Amino acid sequence: MHPYGGWMLQGIFTTIHLSGIGWIIALILGVVVGTSRVFPVAFIRFLGTAYVELFRNIPLLVQLFIWYFAVPLVLPHTARLWMYENVPNVEYMAALAALSIYTSSRVGEQIRSGLQSIPKEQYQAALSTGLSQIQMYRYVVIPYAARIIIPPLTGEFIGIFKNSSLALTIAVSEVTFMSQRIDSYTFHGIEAVMGASGVYIIICLTIMFFMGFIESRVSVPGLIKR
Amino acid sequence: MIDINNVSKWYGKLQVLHNVTEKIERGQTVVICGPSGSGKSTLLRCINGLEYFQQGEIIVDGISVQSRSTNIYELRADIGMVFQHFELYPHMTCLDNITLAPRKVRKKLEEEARTLAMSLLERVGIPEQAHKYPGELSGGQKQRVAIARALAMKPKIMLFDEPTSALDPEMIKEVLDVMIDLTKGGMTMIVVTHEMGFAREVADEIIFMDEGRIIERGADESFFRNPKSERTKQFLSKILM
Amino acid sequence: MDWDVILRNLPFLLMGLQTTFKLAIVAAAGAFPLGILLGLSRLSSKWWLYYPASAYVHLIRSVPLILVIFWFFFLMPIITGRPVGSFTSAAVAFIIFEAAYFAEIVRAGIQSISKGQVMAGLSTGLSHISTMRHIVLPQAIRNMIPVLVTQVIVLFQDTSLAYVIGVREFLRWTSLVDAREFRSIELYATAAVVYFIICFVGSTITRRLEKKGGRLR
Repeated sequence: MHPYGGWMLQGIFTTIHLSGIGWIIALILGVVVGTSRVFPVAFIRFLGTAYVELFRNIPLLVQLFIWYFAVPLVLPHTARLWMYENVPNVEYMAALAALSIYTSSRVGEQIRSGLQSIPKEQYQAALSTGLSQIQMYRYVVIPYAARIIIPPLTGEFIGIFKNSSLALTIAVSEVTFMSQRIDSYTFHGIEAVMGASGVYIIICLTIMFFMGFIESRVSVPGLIKR
Repeated sequence: MIDINNVSKWYGKLQVLHNVTEKIERGQTVVICGPSGSGKSTLLRCINGLEYFQQGEIIVDGISVQSRSTNIYELRADIGMVFQHFELYPHMTCLDNITLAPRKVRKKLEEEARTLAMSLLERVGIPEQAHKYPGELSGGQKQRVAIARALAMKPKIMLFDEPTSALDPEMIKEVLDVMIDLTKGGMTMIVVTHEMGFAREVADEIIFMDEGRIIERGADESFFRNPKSERTKQFLSKILM
Repeated sequence: MDWDVILRNLPFLLMGLQTTFKLAIVAAAGAFPLGILLGLSRLSSKWWLYYPASAYVHLIRSVPLILVIFWFFFLMPIITGRPVGSFTSAAVAFIIFEAAYFAEIVRAGIQSISKGQVMAGLSTGLSHISTMRHIVLPQAIRNMIPVLVTQVIVLFQDTSLAYVIGVREFLRWTSLVDAREFRSIELYATAAVVYFIICFVGSTITRRLEKKGGRLR
């Protein structure tokens, strides 16, 4: 059991930080994309829509391969050399890029949907009391939208953890990759795969529990009909 | 005809009906009024078995609603219900809305059911809407179709759950007219409503409910002029002008 | 850039695309009925339907698809006692996996029909089954169709994961050709464009369906 436990732990750790950092990037990009889709300027809306449609209609695995195999070739020669020499973990970077951008397009969708579900009467009511646009967003729109968005966003958070498993195809040593490695050494594939499954189930349950707690802390009675 | 004996109902720990007792004779029109949450709609739904009550008994025309030997589906066929939000089936035409139950439950043939449905639509005043979908109708028209749908099963009793509460003011009259027509025809009716004008005109008895209890009953104008209970006075003063 | 590489290897890429479609169709054909059964079970009052179905759905939805593919890669030979091809293992994995997602769509679709409709049906004396059949299901299915089509598109994209156990679907062929030709940009860009076109067309159809379906009520 000795080295294998260590490998699994390393894999779990990689899964967690790959997904975690990816999520933070995805949130930031997602907020930008989501709000751009409801922006009053048509061109910006178009850019936002193009971004979302592009990254949600191409399978994540294909996006991953593009980042890992194709993008380095697009870089000018010197940049590519510098990258291969100085960036220690090119696979990890490619996986991070693919995961965060893919997830950001989905997050952007959720945010757009949340913003659009606020009835325009709310905007009118806020403005009619004399609030400026910025104040309206800060005190009325964002708190309202944030509460609507939390459940689907939780789903995306769980999703990014699950999707991190795709990184095994480019040899990023996250937990599923490790389970396959253990299998190739010990031929106890089933146990290894069960172990990895257990890890994901625990991660999912933890996230759901945690988000449930957050939801109940910020919930406003009567706002979200379940 | 309807015997409500000491009915109590709880939703979890919350008691919504407290020992409600009432007797309703054949052909009577009874109006139930009261604030929201007083249990009026719940009581109505207990009568045709759409809601379950933990204590007490309701006997409709000799049949106990919650007895094990009762066929609740047969009982429901004899009781018609009209809902606040109409609840017409949006994916069927008005005609099909009305003929569905007669065809499936009473096994009537298509032809027969149609004729019956058309005559009912005429009775409620909108035969020309037969082939339209509910989405194309106004609220008042929808409710009249809903009444026709309930009448299609030739019920002995009609239950109305706030039939005009979701209607625009100018449509309330057309629905009330249909209901008055029914009363005059001798139908046994229980109507939960805030329309006191209707109550004054046709009700044989008016019941005021609050917090799951019957607070007061009245059979004539004195109910409105001199309510006995303080709560009734408060309620009436708020809704009468 | 040498775009000719695509033309030279077109037969292989098309073969891969064909396998992708086959896999997607088989998976959808199997997952959909299973999903309906699971979804209805999750609405049932019979505990022996409700608990197993709920456990299944929650379990499958907590694990990544790749892992489910690996499960069946190991388990299928054990279950059937014989060696099993990777296409079959992948197909089974997809059916089991996607069924859990279809189940939730079905459950949510049926639950979205207001209780008032059910009460209206019951109040005219219809049985529960009749009410389901004539009132709830017709409306629920109409509402569900756009979401179901979206899920089929997701399923189509998910077929690319069969790559990990060597199924020769479109992505695998793209990477095989790349290993020989070293024209990663052209090849993966083409793969991306192909998937994009198929999925974008699919989601446009979904949007049309949503607009049409919204006519009710």
